[in-house]
Order: sequence, then structure tokens, then C-alpha cells
Amino acid sequence: MNLEKVIFGFFVVLAATLNFGFVIGAIDNPALHNPYELFAAIVVNLIATILKFGDRTQLGAVHLATSLVASLQLIAAGISWVLVAQNGVTGGEMASVVSLAAGALLANVVSVVLLIAETISFQRR
Amino acid sequence: MGNPLLVFWHRLFVPRDDEDEQQDVELWAHPGHPSGGAGPGMGVAGLQPATTGAIFLVLRRMRVPLIVLVLVFSISVLGLTLIPGQQPDGGTRPMGFFEAFYFMTYTATTIGFGEIPNALTTAQRMWVTVSIFVAVIGWAYAIGSMLAMLQDRTFRREVNAQRFARRVRRMPEPFLVMLGYGEAGARVAAGLDARARRLVVVDRSQERIDALELAALRADVPALAANTRQPSTLLAAGLAHPRCEGVLALTDDDEANLAVVQTAHLLRSGLPVLARVESPAMRARMAPFGQPTVVDPFDAFGDRLRLILRTPALAQLFDWLVSPPGAPVPPRIVPPGVGRWVVVGHSRTVAEVSADLRASGVEVIEVDPASPQAPAPQEPAFADLVAGSVGLVAAADRDTQNVAYVEAGLRANEAAFVVARQESAANAALFAALAPDLLLVPSEVVAREVLERLANPALWDFLLAARGQGDAWAADLLRRLVAACGEGSPTVWQVRLDAESAPALARRLAVQDVLLGALLPSPFGRAERLPLVALMLARGGAQLLVPQDDELLRAGDVLLVAGGRGAQRGWDATLGDDEALGYVLSGSSLALSWWGRRLLKPRT
Repeated sequence: MNLEKVIFGFFVVLAATLNFGFVIGAIDNPALHNPYELFAAIVVNLIATILKFGDRTQLGAVHLATSLVASLQLIAAGISWVLVAQNGVTGGEMASVVSLAAGALLANVVSVVLLIAETISFQRR
Repeated sequence: MGNPLLVFWHRLFVPRDDEDEQQDVELWAHPGHPSGGAGPGMGVAGLQPATTGAIFLVLRRMRVPLIVLVLVFSISVLGLTLIPGQQPDGGTRPMGFFEAFYFMTYTATTIGFGEIPNALTTAQRMWVTVSIFVAVIGWAYAIGSMLAMLQDRTFRREVNAQRFARRVRRMPEPFLVMLGYGEAGARVAAGLDARARRLVVVDRSQERIDALELAALRADVPALAANTRQPSTLLAAGLAHPRCEGVLALTDDDEANLAVVQTAHLLRSGLPVLARVESPAMRARMAPFGQPTVVDPFDAFGDRLRLILRTPALAQLFDWLVSPPGAPVPPRIVPPGVGRWVVVGHSRTVAEVSADLRASGVEVIEVDPASPQAPAPQEPAFADLVAGSVGLVAAADRDTQNVAYVEAGLRANEAAFVVARQESAANAALFAALAPDLLLVPSEVVAREVLERLANPALWDFLLAARGQGDAWAADLLRRLVAACGEGSPTVWQVRLDAESAPALARRLAVQDVLLGALLPSPFGRAERLPLVALMLARGGAQLLVPQDDELLRAGDVLLVAGGRGAQRGWDATLGDDEALGYVLSGSSLALSWWGRRLLKPRT
């Protein structure tokens, strides 16, 4: 067992799960989307992105790309929430925030799939 | 460049002048070499060096500092969004995420705008106090790691290598790759630079690369300290670059030069390669790899000495033609009369010299400093030898030995003609103080031979052909050149008399006979002659040295001409402009209309 792989897998999966937890629920209902969860998702995604720095393989490059996409989308979601939260969130505004986060979720899912693919191919060798 | 997108980008946007390249390869005189240049297609593009990533190194090493920073920051922000704060309306509510983020941003970076928007409560202040300590340490750690990495040798080497590869990739003009920047390399580089040839230099030692940066060359020369034996180094230096027109292996290590020759031949066969080689065995090992041109410092030394002693005027003429345009005529060395010579040196270095001196009927005594029987310079036996001789050649391997022999020789016989070999440039002052009649520096001799071959490929053919000529011929030609072109060394160029490079003359040759002499009046005024001398006329396979004015020209002839200041402009006008040619040949102007006269009037 490689401790680095454990930490890497932990953050990649945690980024995806937090993201999923934030996105799930009616898209336009602010009560169903916790801002702390979005914050945690952003932080964990940033850490996952940094963990992927400096890998020169093709798989590593795609890993980094997906994480960058997820981080960017989550940060965009966070910024738009900060902007709309100043005077009460409407359903439409909430929907746009959550849809940005949902886009990030897709990237995170790709990231997890890559992680699984990498693990399986490693087993076969 | 394994990435297909990059290959596509390269092929699409990096212009290639294949035709120019082809021409240059052919111009480079290279006997016994098939002149089929490498097809610069996918094969060459695929040979681009793999870019090694300094950025990856940075990112990999910055992982921990960045993660620490993110964690410290997010925990502080999270804390602020949880601790209730006093509101101006009297209520208590924690900060929002953005407010907390903003607060931590200016606090942790020690900017410190103060407690905005509202004064903090005691609980908040306690949390912020802890956060500040941790965050400042986090920042210091991250910035410290970054700075330490910029100082790191591995990282700097990586950055240098990348910058070098990028500069080579962007070379706008044809260039030569030079491996080895020792004394000979430095001279070759300076000589090529003076002739506006572009270079890429690689040497094993960083010190020499630093010396190159201080050498104040005119053109920008990408240089790298790296192992020249590795193919990847050659690729990074532009071996596969479409504008690379040749490789010079000038390191003082035969093995390393062999490695370069092999790499160049296998990765880009057909590219001209010139290698410095000391041992005949290594020369034989190089031959199968595309028959590279080889320069042997010992041979070159012997050749040069022989040329100077036997035909001083020819040596003088060659030196002058090879020097950069405008250089004064070098002094002619006057060798001594008939008599005995003493030749000091390792048998390999001096064998040719003594054999040649003997062939011209001169008695030669060889002194090999390595053999125990040889007289040492301080012994009377050596003084006696020199006293009865007309010349002394001190060509031992070490400078201290040569200094000793020259000094002893001059003491024994002040009138002797002394040739000294100087191995290291650092000892120049010593030899200058001794003032021998002729000083030969092996690195300079090698550099001269390389420059003769490279500086002007057209001139090399002439030098080869003229080597068989006598001294009187050379002295005569030198007089003619000085009379026609002036004291400054002429520019030498070659022109093919065909429709492409001499359109007006080619049209004229189709209808009438033209003598070489008829082309020499200046198109700017027939009373003047162009400052120009034809050095060689190549027709079919034959070469005619210094054709006379009554030589009949034919279409397809290749003329090698030497011209002084302004000669090339006038000559180009004569060969390319019908009006100018007609004026030069007959003295009458062809242009009839006012507009024609205005347009075709030769500029003076």
C-alpha cells in the first residue's frame, strides 16, 4: 500500500462526494443547498488539484485537467452565490449556482472514473 | 514533439525554406558526399527533442506548500463564518463567506486594513489571532519554498535547457551546430560570427559557456552546457531543425566527436558534418558514418608549416582571402635560405614537416624531447646543433619545453629562423616576449582550416585547386588583386551564368559571344573598371584558375569572383539588367523614352 495513493484517492473521492452532496436536491430551492458544503467542496477540490500537479504522464495530464475544470466551476458557483446572496436568493439565481456546481460534479465524476481505470490497469500489470 | 497537435502546429506555422536549405547543403563543398539532404518532412518533425518540464518540477515541489496554504486559509475562513459577530443593528450574526475570505486575505498577507465591516467581538479576535500566526507562517513557508527552488541547481539547469531549446527552435536563419567551445571552437565561433553565420554552441563545461557569453559576438548565439555525447543534446541543439545546415564536432575528445558524427549520420543523414580528430584509427571509425570531413590538428599543423615555409606567398594569399572582408594584407614570411634545420617535437607532429624539408633537399635533425638520447635545451650539444643550422622548429607538446628550446636556440644562433608552437592561449605573453619568426598555435591552425572550409564554401574549391600552384603565381595574383580591389581583403562570391542568377547576360550569350574582359567596365561609368578579379571559372567538370580577360564565356559557366567595395552591386547590375549590360558592352544606352531613362538609370 502506498500512502501517497491513499491520500490522492481520498481527496479525489472526497471532492466528488462533497460536490454531489451540494448539488443533490431541487435545483432552485436554497434551503436544500448548504453553503458550508460548497465551501468544503471548493477547498477539497483545490487540494485535489494541487495533488495532481507535476505528473507528466498522459493520464496525469487528464487528471489535472478534470480537476482544474471542477475547481473553476466550483469557484464560479461560489462567486455567483456571494454576489446573489447579498439581498436574498431567488429560485432562478439558486438554479444557476447549482447548475455550475453540477457541471463541476461531472468533471469530478470523470476524475473518479480515471482513478478507477488507473487502479484497475495497475492491478493487471 | 510526440504530441500530434504540436506537430500539426509546427508544420502549419513554422515556415520552412526547403529550397534555400538544399542549396546551402550543395554549396558546402563536401567531396565524396551524396548531397541529398534529409527530407524535412514528418521524419524530421518527429525528431524534435522531448521538452523537459521545468514547470513540472516546480509544480511537484510546490504541492506541499500550496496544500498547507489552502488548508490554513480555509480553516481560518471557516472559523470566521462560524463565530457570531456584532452587527450594527444590535443583533449577532457570523460573517458571510466572502466577508471572511476578504478579511483573511488582507490579514494573513499582513496588509491589515483593520476590522471591517464591523468591529470584531472578543471570540472573533481570539480566532483571528491564532489564524494570523498560522497563516503568516504558511505564507512564509510557501514563498520560502518557491525562492529556494528558484535557487536550486537542478531547476536552474532545467530552465536553462528549456530556454536553449526554445531559442534554437526559433532560429530565424540557417545555422551551424557547434559542439565543443575550447580554444579552437572560440576562434571558429568568432570567425563565423564575423562572417554573419549563425551558430548554436554546446560544451560540456559551464565555464566555457560563460566565456562564450562574455565573448561579445554580434549575433545571438544560443549556448548550453551539456554532455555532447548524448543524442538528446544534439536534438535540443537543433540537429533535426530544418534550418540546421551542418554540425561541427570540435571537442578535444575523439570519442565524443565520434558520438556526434554517429548521431548526426543516423538521425539526419546527408547533413554535412565536420569533426576534429587526433588519431587515424578514430578517423577510420568515423568514415562509415557518412564520410564526415575531418580536421586533424597534427596534420593541419604540418600542412600549415609546410605551406608557409615552401610557398610563403601562397600562404599569404590564402590568409588574406580567408580573412573577413576589409582586412589588410598579412605580412609575408621570408623563410631562410638553404641549410640545416633542427626540428624538435614528438615524431607524429613533426614527421610531415621533416619529411617535407628533406624532400626539398635540406638536411634535418629531429630532436624528440621524449627520448632519453635527445639533447636537453640547456645542454651544449643542443646549442651546437642550432649554431650550425639555419632554422629551428620547436613543436614539442608542452609550452614550457618549447619556450626552453626557443630560448636556447636563439641564444646559440641569433640569426636562426625560429618556428615556435604555442599550445595554450594563456602563454601568449611568453611567446610574444621570445618573438619567434613564426608562431603557430594548433587551435588557431584548426580554426583556420575549419573557417577555410566553412566561411565561404565557394572559396574552398579555389583554395584546393590553387594549392598546387607555385609561389610566383600566388605573388602575381596577390598583386593583381590588390591593384584591382584595394588593400582590404575582397569579398568572394560565385555566380552561375544562367537565366536565374544572370538573366541579362544569359539572354546576351544566346545571341553573341561575350568575353570575360568585356564585362568588367563599371556600369556606373565605362571609364572605370569594376574592382573585381575572376578567381576561377568552372565549366562542366573542369576548373580554370584565374581566367584571363579574353576568355570566352558560355551559358552555364560558374564564375568565382573576388571584388572590393561596391563590386558586387555593379557586377549584379551588369549581369541582371539589360540596359546596364548593353551600356557596359557597347557604351550606348538602350533606354529610349524619358521614363525608360528615369527608371533604368543606374544609381551612382
